[in-house]
Amino acid sequence: MSVQAIHNLTLDGEINIYRAADLKLEVLAALRRAPVLEIDLAGVTELDTAGLQVLMLAKRTATEEQRELHLLNHSPAVVDIVEMLNLGAFFGDAVLIHR
Amino acid sequence: MNLDDALQTFITESRELLEDMENALLNIDLAGDQSEAINAIFRAAHTIKGSAGLFSLDHIVAFTHVVESLLDAVRDGRLVLNDEMITLLLSCCDYLTGMTDGLAAGRYDADPDTAADGEMLLQQLRRHMGMESEAPDAHAGALAVQPEPDVERMGGDAGDSDYWHISLRFGAGVLQNGMDPIAFLRYLARLGRIAGMATVADALPPAADMDAELCYLGFEIAFDSNADREAILGVFEFVQDDCDIRLVAPRSKVSEYVELIRALPENPARLGEMLVLCGSVTAAELAAALAQQSQSETSATPDHSADIPPRLGSILVAAGQVAPVVVEAALNKQKQVVEQKAQENRSIRVDSDKLDKLIDLVGELIIAGARASVIGQRLHSTELQEATSTLSGLVEEVRDAALELRMVKIGATFNRFQRVVHDVARELGKDIGLAVDGEDAELDKTVVEKIGDPLMHLVRNAMDHGIEPADVRIAAGKPARGMIKLNAFHESGSIVIQVSDDGGGLRKEKILAKAIERGLVDADRKLTDAEIYNLIFEAGFSTAEKITNLSGRGVGMDVVKRNITALRGSVDVGSSEGQGTTVTVRLPLTLAIIDGFLVQVGDSVFVIPLDTIEECIEFAAEPGQDYSNLRGQVLPFIRLRSLFHIGGAPTRRESIVVLRFGKVRAGLVVDTLLGEFQTVIKPLSPIFSEVRCISGSTILGTGDVALILDVGALLQAVDGKGAALPALAA
Amino acid sequence: MPLTAINLASAPLPSQYLTFVLGEEQFAVGILHVKEIIEYAAMATVPMMPDCVRGVINLRGAVVPVLDLSARFGRGVARVGKRTSIIIAEVAAEADDEQRGGKQVLGMMVDAVNAVVEIEPADIEQAPSFGTRIRPDFIAGIGKCNGRFVILLALERVLSTGEVVALARSMAEQEREHEHAHEHHPWPA
Repeated sequence: MSVQAIHNLTLDGEINIYRAADLKLEVLAALRRAPVLEIDLAGVTELDTAGLQVLMLAKRTATEEQRELHLLNHSPAVVDIVEMLNLGAFFGDAVLIHR
Repeated sequence: MNLDDALQTFITESRELLEDMENALLNIDLAGDQSEAINAIFRAAHTIKGSAGLFSLDHIVAFTHVVESLLDAVRDGRLVLNDEMITLLLSCCDYLTGMTDGLAAGRYDADPDTAADGEMLLQQLRRHMGMESEAPDAHAGALAVQPEPDVERMGGDAGDSDYWHISLRFGAGVLQNGMDPIAFLRYLARLGRIAGMATVADALPPAADMDAELCYLGFEIAFDSNADREAILGVFEFVQDDCDIRLVAPRSKVSEYVELIRALPENPARLGEMLVLCGSVTAAELAAALAQQSQSETSATPDHSADIPPRLGSILVAAGQVAPVVVEAALNKQKQVVEQKAQENRSIRVDSDKLDKLIDLVGELIIAGARASVIGQRLHSTELQEATSTLSGLVEEVRDAALELRMVKIGATFNRFQRVVHDVARELGKDIGLAVDGEDAELDKTVVEKIGDPLMHLVRNAMDHGIEPADVRIAAGKPARGMIKLNAFHESGSIVIQVSDDGGGLRKEKILAKAIERGLVDADRKLTDAEIYNLIFEAGFSTAEKITNLSGRGVGMDVVKRNITALRGSVDVGSSEGQGTTVTVRLPLTLAIIDGFLVQVGDSVFVIPLDTIEECIEFAAEPGQDYSNLRGQVLPFIRLRSLFHIGGAPTRRESIVVLRFGKVRAGLVVDTLLGEFQTVIKPLSPIFSEVRCISGSTILGTGDVALILDVGALLQAVDGKGAALPALAA
Repeated sequence: MPLTAINLASAPLPSQYLTFVLGEEQFAVGILHVKEIIEYAAMATVPMMPDCVRGVINLRGAVVPVLDLSARFGRGVARVGKRTSIIIAEVAAEADDEQRGGKQVLGMMVDAVNAVVEIEPADIEQAPSFGTRIRPDFIAGIGKCNGRFVILLALERVLSTGEVVALARSMAEQEREHEHAHEHHPWPA
């Protein structure tokens, strides 16, 4: 079995308090699969503070463990929040603004 | 805790607090030291506000907030209390009482009918405080808001920032409580423009320790908006318990941002960065201010540091210290105040229904105990008699203790009159004061409840008709200020309440003339002064030249008398022309149980209240005469057999029970004396309401019914008939 | 000591009446008004009340007034016989009375108590305006039962507190006038 250099994770639907606990475990596990984790957010319809926290935690953990985390294909819901909370710099990803 | 119970408690406690407020306001000595009173009033208002906030009673919170602000200003010395303000605050008390009553009736928001009054009061309050704002304070819950900090002379230039700076630290549980901080930020954005934003994630713990359902985030926001402080705080109303909110107004001095930094938990350098990031301050300003601060400190400390002083926490900002949830602190404080009060009283609340039930049961206990005694006597069993004697003794003690529970001091009732006198005096344009004596006199709670209205009427009457206008008083050589005096004391088994005034007194001739005119007395009847004065209690009598708003409107002295008689009491009036009038109300101490003395006439057994009996003597009188010789004094007597038309012949050795009620002393001729007996008063059916001399009935140990004599009525009957007899030695 | 206790729990029909004897006539009252029936026993008299109020009794701790129906009907004070009984009745309180729960409990002294009978509304006629020996307003109707006529009483009227009080009041006034006329000897021997 070859070790993949990049691991992909797709998150869909509502990323909120109801999923936050599970999400945390899922994302952290995914993070440790490979040196680089990419999370695809195209299908995220809703993001609340709890969901955001998990993503922020993942980012910080990645940095601490010398891993990489990239958020991709931010859906409008995600863009909205990243912009409002000025988290572009925090996550360090290029945010493509979809029309 | 059941919400209804909690709300009930709130209503009861608020009423008490409002009463305290009113009393304190009325008793403030404008010339002397007011600080204690002001503090008490402030605490009361503050407690009501806080508790109302717990129930989200916004209308009460908003109103009380403004009142509290005014009181705060007085407390700090920024405002001086004057007469006008006291009257205004009294009106505010009334308005709050109205809202509390509304709450009791099920109204949980402002009553539109009285909203205008409330608005007017608020405007007056603001006027006193020098604020002309139109908008009512809507959001004044227990927020963790930092008040405008004291101005410090450093970084003294006004800041350039045109923005509000909002600092938010959400509490850990905010998510679990169903709130989403992001949603609040969105809402905030509707009030203006978020010009700068920094998300503070410093509290986010390592992954292993992070609980995904707790909140670790905070925000520093530069907010461009015309909204005022209240509006901004209002955005966070629903999360105020779960969030630390600090506001710095636009164009605040840099020093204030420094204070903010100090108040926040994070590393000051980071905070400084964030503030700059927000755009609330420029890097240069901040650096300068901080440097200045450290300079002033280094002179005091051996530790020099060019960087931001490490001991930021040591400089305390007045209210900003309470970090996590200031709400808790506010609540604790309120709890403290309430607990303090509770400790002062060391009493508990008892449902009055439960108390009544207890008294009933004690009554039945007495009857059952009496029955046991009778059986013991009948069986001639010494052992049983001893046991029942012990039982009776204990039952008597239980009875006394139970009755004690129903006794309340009349002081509370008297104190209500302070307000009445204050308001009525203003209405009449007279200067009238109230002196109160005997506040510790106790009486049965049901009597207290029912005596309030008649007393109120007597007081108003005295103020309206008794006290003359100031010029008349001065011309008569009296002080311009009229005095009403309330007095209470115990006398021979009754409680006596006197309402006196130092006014013009009653005019005998006028009263007599009016009575004759109304057909209440015959023109040729000779009446004593006392009888003339008491004519004012006859129905349809009113000699006031003008019927003023207060006491002339259909509620006359006859109604007062009727109410008092219904309580088995009596009322009397004495007067001295030019000097004043005194109305004396006499009431039984309790309506439930009395110590009695049994007497027998023919087959009938009667109970005489023990407190009215002076002694018992053998019957001795000349035939045809209705008085006896009691150690040299004349004692008129009543033959009960005759009075009650009881058939049969009297026993050979009759007895006289010497009775005293107030100032009247007379004897009662009976067949046999049967001894003491504690009795439970069973009220008589209204079918007997015309029987004047009987006040109630009781059940003896034998199961028979005995009637309780109304000694007052009996002796009044004597008085009326005793015109031909020589005067009594009192 | 209750002779019989009428069990009201079985939802009696309004056509049930308790019959009793006063003098030579039969009267009846609706069962719903009857609380219990007790033996006659000597009772405490209340002074200064009209003859129609016999006195008060102790009914398990409550002091209940007892009316002498014979006197109430203007036939003089009743004589106590072997079967004299007291019917404890409950009526609605009058409008101007302050009564608990709006009900009053009073006793009625009668010569004898008979059975509970059923009288259909169809068998009840209006009271004639003359011919009966008691006040017409005391009569609710005349019922036919087992071939005999029974006078159904309008109990609220018969047991009217207001009337009795008014009677007592006029008695007291008469007494006062009597005394005024005899100033020197206020007490009749």
